[in-house]
Amino acid sequence: MGQLVVNGLALGSIYALVALGLLLIFNTVQIVNFAQGQLLMLGAFIGISCAVTHELPMAAAWAVTMAAMALVGVVFMVLVYFPLRGRPAFLVILTTIAMGIVLENLALIIWGPLPVSLPSPVSGPPLRFAGVVVSMHQLFIFATLAVILFLQFVFLTKTRFGILMQATAQDLHTARLVGIPVKRTIAVAFALGTMLSGIAGLLVAPIFLAEPTMGGSLGLKGFVVSVIGGFGNLPGAVIGGLFLGLIETFGARYISSNFRDAYAFIVMITVLIVWPRGLFGEKSSEKV
Amino acid sequence: MTSTFFKASIVGATAVCLSVASTHPSRADAASCPSPIPLGLTTALTGNVALLGTQARSGVEFAVDEINAAGGINGKKLALTTEDTGSSSTDALNAMNRILEGKPLVIFGSMISPHVFAQTEVVTKSETPFMVGATNAKMTSQGSKWMFRIHVHDGQLADLIPEYLVKTLGKTKPGIIAVADDYGLGASRGIQASLAKLDANPVSVTSYAPSDKDMSAQLLEIKDKGADSVILFGRPADVTLVVKQMNDLGIKLTMIGNSSLVAQTTLNNLTAAEADGAYVIGGMIPQTSTDPKILDWAKRVQDKYKVPPDNFTVSYYDTVYLLKSIIEKTGCDKAAIRDALAATKDWKGMLISYQANALGDLAHTLGVYRNKGKTPELIGPIKESGF
Repeated sequence: MGQLVVNGLALGSIYALVALGLLLIFNTVQIVNFAQGQLLMLGAFIGISCAVTHELPMAAAWAVTMAAMALVGVVFMVLVYFPLRGRPAFLVILTTIAMGIVLENLALIIWGPLPVSLPSPVSGPPLRFAGVVVSMHQLFIFATLAVILFLQFVFLTKTRFGILMQATAQDLHTARLVGIPVKRTIAVAFALGTMLSGIAGLLVAPIFLAEPTMGGSLGLKGFVVSVIGGFGNLPGAVIGGLFLGLIETFGARYISSNFRDAYAFIVMITVLIVWPRGLFGEKSSEKV
Repeated sequence: MTSTFFKASIVGATAVCLSVASTHPSRADAASCPSPIPLGLTTALTGNVALLGTQARSGVEFAVDEINAAGGINGKKLALTTEDTGSSSTDALNAMNRILEGKPLVIFGSMISPHVFAQTEVVTKSETPFMVGATNAKMTSQGSKWMFRIHVHDGQLADLIPEYLVKTLGKTKPGIIAVADDYGLGASRGIQASLAKLDANPVSVTSYAPSDKDMSAQLLEIKDKGADSVILFGRPADVTLVVKQMNDLGIKLTMIGNSSLVAQTTLNNLTAAEADGAYVIGGMIPQTSTDPKILDWAKRVQDKYKVPPDNFTVSYYDTVYLLKSIIEKTGCDKAAIRDALAATKDWKGMLISYQANALGDLAHTLGVYRNKGKTPELIGPIKESGF
C-alpha cells in the first residue's frame, strides 16, 4: 500500500509539472497548448544530447536544456500564437496539436526511434522503510515540484513582471493601453511554460526513457489534471496531478490495469459533472 | 518403316526439346522477369511502432542493396518501393493500396499484426506473394494461399515459454505481465492456456497500455500474490521499463519473456544487474552468433541504419535471399513463386533453416537465451513440435 502511494505521487508529480507549464501559458494568453507533451519530449532529448552524447556535466546539461527550451518557447509563440491571434479557439487548438505531430516526427528524424535513458542528476541508494522503497530520483522529483510551485507562486504574485503577466491575462487590450509590454510578457510566458516542460522531460527521461512518442500521453494527462484542479489554478493543478497519479496507480492495482488510461478520463468527467469548474476552479475555467 | 522412323523422329525431337528446356530453366525464366524487378514493402517507419517497423525496412533494404551491388537476379536489378504504414491499420491499408498500384512481384508486410490483418484481403485479391513477419498466431489461418510468414509466431512462444518455465526452470506459480495490444494480449491468452495444460495456473495476470510508463502497480500485484516467476511479453521500450521498475521495487523473481528482453535497445538502457538472469525464448538474434561473418553483417547493418539488427531484421533479410533463390529457378511468375514458397524445405538462412508448413509458416526454430549481465547467451535452439 505504502509503495503504491509513493509511486502514485511520483507519477502524479510528473503530471503536475506538465500541467504547470500548460497553465503558465494558458493563464497569460488563454491558449491550451496541446503540444506541451511533445515539448517535454524535446526537453528530454536535448538533455540526452547534452549529457549523454556530448558528455556535459549534468548541471550544465540541465542549464543548456532550459535555455534551449526557453528559446523553443519563443519560437513556438512566433510560429503558432502570433499568426492565430484573435482566430477561433479550435483553430489554435488544432495548430498546437499539429505542432505536436511535427515535433514528434522531427525528433524521430533527429534522434531516431530508439528509447534512450538519461542519467539522474542525483544518485545514491534508495531509502527503505517499512518495506517501502523510495528512490533518490523520486525524492528529487518531489523536491523539484515543490520548488517550482513555490517559485512560480512568488514570481506571479511578488514580482513586477509576474504581476504584469497576470494583468495581461486578465485583459490583453487594456494591458496594452496602459503601457504594459504585452509582446514581451507573452514571450516570457511561452519561454517559462516551455522551460517547465523541459524540466519535466529531464525528470521523466531517467525513469521512463525518452522516445519520440513519449509526449502524447503525458501531455494529455497534463491537460486532464489541469481540468481536474480547475483550469488556471496552479495549486489545483498540483493537487489534481497527485490525485490522478494515485487514482491510476491504485486503480491499476486493485481494479484492473487494462483501464489505466481510462481512469484519468473517468475522473475528469466525474469532476466536471460534480464541479464544472474543477476542484479549485476559477472563472477562467469557463474558457476551456 | 518410313512411318515408324518418322514417328520415332518426332518423339525423339520432342524429348530433346523438352530436355533442353528443362536443363536451362533460368535462361528462359530470366527473360520473363521485368527489369527492374519490382518489390513492395509496407512497414511502420513513423509512429509508436516505428522502432519495430524499421527493422523490416533494414532487413529487406540491406539485402536488396547487396543483391543489386552483386549484379541483381539473373542480371536484373531489384527495385524496392517502401510505404510507411504509420501506427494505424487504416494507414497500413492505404499504404498497401499505393504499393499495389506499382504492381510489385512480391510484397513484404510488416510484423505489426493488426496492420497485416487489414492488408491481407487486398493483397490476396491481387494474387501477389505476401511475405510477413506478423506474429499473431492466427495470421496464417486466414485462408490466403498468397501469405507466407517468415518469423516465429506467438502461438509457438505461448507453447514453448510455459513449457520451459515449468519443466526446465521448475517454476509453477508465474505472474504474467504483457503489453495490452494485439501482440501482448494474444500471447498472454495463449500462455495462460498452455500453463493450464501444465497444471501451473498463473497467480496473477496483468497488462499495461503501450503508452504506459509506470508498471509498478502491476508488478506489486504479482509480488503480493506470491508469484515465483514473471512471464513478460512486450516491446523493447516497455520491457525495459518493466525490468527497471522491478529492480527499483526490489522484486527478485525468475523472469522469462519474448525476444524484447535481449533486444539491443533494451540492453542499452539497462544496467548489468537489471538485465542479468532474464530468460528469453524467441526468434534467433545475430548478436550471440560466433560466426564472424554474421557479426560483421550485424555491424554493417548497425553502421548503416544506426539501429542494431534484431531477430526481425534477420528474418526479412533472409526472405529476400530466399526469394532470389526462387526467382532464379522459377522466373517471375507470381503463381510459380507462391508454389515454390509453399514447397520451401530446409532452405538455410543466416541463423535458421526455413520450411513451409500447410499454413505458410516458414520459421519453426527459436532460440533460448539467458542474459549474463547485459550480454545474451544462447542456451540453445529449440524447435516447434513436429519440426
